[in-house]
Amino acid sequence: MTLTDPREALADQSNFIGCLVGLAGLARVVHTLAADDDRRSDPPGESDDFVHVLLGVASLGEGIERLANSVMVQPDPTVEASPPTSTATRWLR
Amino acid sequence: MNAETLIGMLAELERIRDLTLNLIERETPRLLPAPPDEDCGTERTVFDLLLGARRAVLGNPAAARGLHDLLVAEGRRYANTPDGARLREALVASEAVENLRRVWETVSLNVLDGPAAPSAAPDAWADLLADAVIGHGLDDSILARLRPEGFA
Repeated sequence: MTLTDPREALADQSNFIGCLVGLAGLARVVHTLAADDDRRSDPPGESDDFVHVLLGVASLGEGIERLANSVMVQPDPTVEASPPTSTATRWLR
Repeated sequence: MNAETLIGMLAELERIRDLTLNLIERETPRLLPAPPDEDCGTERTVFDLLLGARRAVLGNPAAARGLHDLLVAEGRRYANTPDGARLREALVASEAVENLRRVWETVSLNVLDGPAAPSAAPDAWADLLADAVIGHGLDDSILARLRPEGFA
């Protein structure tokens, strides 16, 4: 496939959800690292880029889990079922 | 020159770039060491994962630096929130984070640190062998395979 020969069903082959799940999993690993029982005897006061990268991953994971939870609470019997589906379709496109 | 020709040129440039990277890999075998003897198992899986990360960074320095900077910026923003600040304090004091830092430094050879022009490969990437700082005193058979000869 090229940019001049697009396929209509490209969205069906997308692994976008898999990427989101992977990021959320990495974010949980960051929280596991933070909860490690083995603590440093002389922790530095300042955090460097490496720690900020971990924080960035944790933040992305939190956003993804928030996104997933917002979808999970939507199927309310009093709410019409079609909006979430159309939203998901629009996102995948 | 139409759009299709331009896209074709981009595709060709990418192919030349891949060939150049393959040539560099062949000329620097210690950066891509031989895998463990076993074809499968935990050690082989971890080795493949770490080597894949190294190839991704060394083969795409500008993109890797861009992603790195994006995550750092998001991390700094998150650290200014109450939840982020608590997580930051926990991470800074964690020995496991220090171990992960050693792993990352060994795998990436610190090529993403230091100065870099916008949207360009970082200077450390071009000066890899001179500026790389490897984790010291790390006795790990998997990481040892990723460490170029001559490094501590």
